[in-house]
Order: sequence, then structure tokens, then C-alpha cells
Amino acid sequence: MDDKALIQVKNVRKVYRMGEEKVIALDDVSMDIYRGEIVCFLGTSGSGKSTFLNMVAGLEKPTRGEIIIGGIQVHKLDEEMVTLFRQKNIGFIFQSYNLLPMLTTLENITLPLIFRNVDKRRRTAMAKEAMKAVGLEGYERRRPTQMSGGQQQRVGIARAIVGHPKIIFADEPTGNLDSHTTKEVMEIIVKMVRENNQTLIIVTHDRTISEYADRVVTIQDGNILDIQVKNQNGGSNEQCQ
Amino acid sequence: MNNRDIVSLSIRNLLRRKTRSILAVTGVIIGICAIVAMLSIGFGLQEGFRESLERWGNLHLVTVFPTGGYGSMGMVYYDYGGGGSGSQDNKQVKLDNKAIGMIEGINGVSGVTPREDAYLTFGIGKYVAGMSVVGVRPEVLEKFNYEVDDGRNMRAGDKNVVVFGNQTTSYFYNPKKSWGSSYSGEPVVDVITDKIVVTPDWSYGQPQANQPDEENRTEYKEYTFKGIGVLGGPDNYDTAYYAYMPIDVLQKIREEQAKAEKQRYDKSSYSQAMVYVDDIENVKAVSEAIREMGFQTNSLNDALETMQAQARTIQTILGGIGAISLLVAALGITNTMIMSIYERTKEIGVMKVIGANLPDIRKLFLIEAGIIGFVGGILGIGLSYLLSLVMNTALLPVISSMIGGSGGSKISIIPLWLPLAALGFSTVIGVLSGYSPARRAMNLSALESLRNE
Repeated sequence: MDDKALIQVKNVRKVYRMGEEKVIALDDVSMDIYRGEIVCFLGTSGSGKSTFLNMVAGLEKPTRGEIIIGGIQVHKLDEEMVTLFRQKNIGFIFQSYNLLPMLTTLENITLPLIFRNVDKRRRTAMAKEAMKAVGLEGYERRRPTQMSGGQQQRVGIARAIVGHPKIIFADEPTGNLDSHTTKEVMEIIVKMVRENNQTLIIVTHDRTISEYADRVVTIQDGNILDIQVKNQNGGSNEQCQ
Repeated sequence: MNNRDIVSLSIRNLLRRKTRSILAVTGVIIGICAIVAMLSIGFGLQEGFRESLERWGNLHLVTVFPTGGYGSMGMVYYDYGGGGSGSQDNKQVKLDNKAIGMIEGINGVSGVTPREDAYLTFGIGKYVAGMSVVGVRPEVLEKFNYEVDDGRNMRAGDKNVVVFGNQTTSYFYNPKKSWGSSYSGEPVVDVITDKIVVTPDWSYGQPQANQPDEENRTEYKEYTFKGIGVLGGPDNYDTAYYAYMPIDVLQKIREEQAKAEKQRYDKSSYSQAMVYVDDIENVKAVSEAIREMGFQTNSLNDALETMQAQARTIQTILGGIGAISLLVAALGITNTMIMSIYERTKEIGVMKVIGANLPDIRKLFLIEAGIIGFVGGILGIGLSYLLSLVMNTALLPVISSMIGGSGGSKISIIPLWLPLAALGFSTVIGVLSGYSPARRAMNLSALESLRNE
């Protein structure tokens, strides 16, 4: 485990303006996440957990505070730079899979590589490898509409890992799945992350998901309420707040 | 993202919403087809004017008259269209050999000849014919591109020779026989012969009954000529209905004719001159230069320009009508793209989150719009050719009577550059129509798009 944290979040505050009213989504959050760690952010709807994820992914800018990933001050990057940064370093898994319906499974998985300008032969090979890893061999030419939710989410996982990003964000990855499929999908995600020494950040309201995490961060009303260390090997003891 | 991937992704998106894409493409097809078909009618009209004028005479020729001569000499040759635009000052300038020499020096002029007109009677054996004779310098016929079908052309040094227009050979008839039985429209004699009698006497060879009384009789001379050729092309009035001979000889005939009729004849100045301009484009400039010398000019080209200006006006109006339908098509493309972006807001967000560059997103939508324009353009051009074919075949009689029958053999002409320009235009229109929607797509917040669940 690296000494220096891969993700450093320092005194981040996010305030939304809704007309005259100010809504504080995140109050003052600081925490470090290390390489190879699986961190689960647990909270109810409106707790601020999604806002936290969005800011770490560079989708939103904090009102105040710093977000440093691998030495890069993500909060200072402009949209184009942050897109490039995401392209190279971050994989996303969504609740509703968000696969492109006009593309086949193989094409959906290669999409991040297409954006990165990887040549066709190489990206097909990489995508096939990812498909094998999530158990989707033989589904190359299927379209999302011809697949079950669990299969679609496996495509989503393959798409997130295909470019070997350092960090994978998963926003309610099992929100649309039944408990049996949830277990299947989570096991695949964790296995992949562990094998590749990637960092996984899961945002969920589902306590069962937190079982898979090294650390579980409970968020409430824009503040970190509690950090629970489940697995010493994966996480750190650092206390926040 | 490389361009091939972008194009492939764009096509996939278009195929996904087939009906809408087809409707947008149909709009472009109609627009392009309207423009191309309308413009082609304009070109057909211009070509029709040219064709009919070429039948009247040679577009390379400028006819020169001395000031005041035009319209008052009774020898006006081209008195249709265009009008003889004369110089403003009324100073009389003589059209003599010196003036001809000066005209010869004008840039773009490749041949000049003074012109003498007469109406003479020709006799070959018992057959006679009266026809308009044009006297020119013998060497110019070749320079004027008058081709000889039969025999040879006039050349410098020729004296008593005559070259016949291709229709004049059938003028010969036997006056001793009744008109109806002898005139068949087919030539009855071979005009290429050494034994042609030429005379200003219109009663030559006529039966006694047609001869004037002894006291009214004027004694005209008779000359022996050699028929050397019959003109072929270019196919127009000049090569059909006139006979040509060297001007010196014709002047001599005219002089002696005037003497016999006890009239004066001035050999030193001419009533007309013919100027041949190499390039039709230069006809206007040459005409102006000649007018500046104090002469009046007339050319079929003047008429052609007036007619073509008319055709262009019509074409502009027709093209405008076509342009309106293309404008509607452009709005259709914009609408299609905006709808498509609303529908795909979430997808755009996803693409951004998983790493699509902003310019790539914009390109994706621009290319989609461009493809609508391009495909519509190609199909529209195809349809235009079909329409053009129908207009030139099935609809030819109907339309040509409707638009006044310019005399052209084609109603619709599509020059080669037109489909290329139309294709470029439709693609550009497509891309332009997609520009604003594409920008909108690029500027969509990834987060907002994702929330759109």
C-alpha cells in the first residue's frame, strides 16, 4: 500500500443555489483514499454521497476545498482537461447501466477505448478480455435490449474496467438488480478490482453492499458521520473530522 | 476518437431512428431536386436561345455600318433583337479601306471584309436563278469558318468565281417551263461549272412574254463566272440562302449596273463590313471599339446577351423557388437534430462521463447532420436527372409551348458542375443546420444529463 493517498479530499464544501435559497450538499468533508482500497459511501438519498462522488470524478466543482488525485488538482482542471483525466484514470459503473442502445455489447465495451483513439484491433482484443473477465463470452453481438439487467450491468462493468483505469466509481451499481444478481455483480466487481489493484469507490444506500468494502463511510447531511474499517489490509485507519 | 469511428457512430444513430432520418433526408432530396431542376430549366432556356440564334447566323460575326446607314440603307441584314447601338455624335465617318484596316487592328478581330450586297440573276444553260449575292474579300470565307461541302472555298486572287449557299442551288429552274413542274426543291443543275452567266438583268433567260418593252429596256452586261463550291456549315442562314463572290468583281458589276441605269455609284466607301471575332466572349468588346470609331454595329451576340440576361432572370426566380424548399429542408434537419439531442441527452452525458472529448461530441452531431445533407443531396441529384429526362422527353411538347418555345431541343440541361455544386451545397447546409444543435449537445452538462433518469 502506498504511503501517500491516491485521492485526497481536503475540506470540501458544496453549496447549491436554488433561487434565493442555499442548499448545503456537502458541509466540510476531508478524507484520503488509498490505492487498492474499496471504499463504500453509505447514506440516504440527499445525504450528499452522490455529490461527493461527482466532485471526486470531476463532474462537479466544489464550492470550496481541494480534490487531489494522483497529484493532480482535479478541482482546478477545465472541462476539457478533466475529460481527458477521466478518460485515462477513471471507470464508471452506473445504476441504470447507461449502455448505448444502438451499439452491440462489444462496441459498448470498446467505447471508452474509441474515445481514447485506441486502434480497432487492439481495442477489440482488450474488450474481449474484459468480457471474458465478467463472464460475457459469446454475447459480443447482442444489443443491450436483448439482455437481462444483470447481464447489462456486467457489460457496464466490462466497460468500466476495459481501459484499466486506476479508479472505478460505482454509483448504486446494484440499485436495479435483485438480491441474487446483486451478489453476483458485486462479486465480479470486487474480484476485478482486487486482481488489478484498482481503487473502487461505491456509493449506495444498501447496507449489504458495504460488506464488500474495506472501509464504509457513512454520510449524513453533508458530513461524514462515521468511518468503519472492515478490512485492515485494504484500507487505512485515518480518521476524518 | 478517429473520424472513421465518428462516422460509423453517426450512421448508427441515424439508422436507429429510421423514420425521422428518412423524413429529414426526404426534405433535402426535395430541396436539392427543386434547385437543380429549376436551374436546369434556366440552362435549357439559355441553350435554347443560343441554338435558335445560331440558326439565324454566325455568333462570331459583327456587322458594321457607317453612322446613319443603319436602318436607312434598305440593306439591313440583322434587324432583329439587340438593336444597332450607334455612336452618339452624328459626324459621318466613311466605311472605307482605311477604316477596314483600322478595324482589322482591333484586338480579338481575326478577319474583316467590306461587304457589298446585290441581287443578281444566274444562268446555267437554260436554267436561271435569282439570288442575293454577297461580295466579300475572297480570302475571308475560310477565316470566317464557312465550310465548303462541295468543290472548294474562295481564296485570295480569285476573280470571277462564285460560292453558293447550300439552299441556293435549288433556286435554278427552267423559265421556259411552268413554275410548278420545274421547281421540286431539289437542285436540277450542277453549280460547279465554268459556264455560269451572271447579270443584274432580272429578265435574263426569261421567255419573250416576260421581257420588258423595247423602249424601257436597259442594256445590262453579262459576265461569265465559275461556280467553285457549295457551302456546308455552320448550319445557318448565311451559308444557306446567299451566294458569295469576290467584292472587287461584284463592285465592278454594280458600277456597270449603275452606269446602265444612269445612276452614280461610289466605289470608295462601303455600306457594310463584316468582322469576325475569334472568341465569342470578345464580341462585345470588339463591337464597342468599332462603335468608338464612329460606326454602328450589330451582332447576333447582342441579341443573345439580351436573351440570356432574360434567361438568367428567369433562372434566378426559378432557383429562388428551389432555394426556398431547401431552406425548409434545412429547418427540417435542424429540427431533427434538436429532437435527437433531447432524446439522447442521457447518452451524451454517459459518453462525456466515460471519456468522450467535447469536440468529438460536437463532431458526432455535425457529421450526423452532414450525412443527412449528403445522402439527401445524392438522392436529390439522382431524382433531378430523372426529372430532367422526363422533361426532355415526355414533357417536351407540353412545357415548350408553356414557356414560349425557345426553340431549344432540350428543356432541362444539367451542366456537370451543377450536381457537384449541389452535393457540396446540401452537405454544407446539413452541417450548418446541425451546428447549433451540436453545440448544444457539446455544452450539455454531463451531470444534468445523467440526472435525467
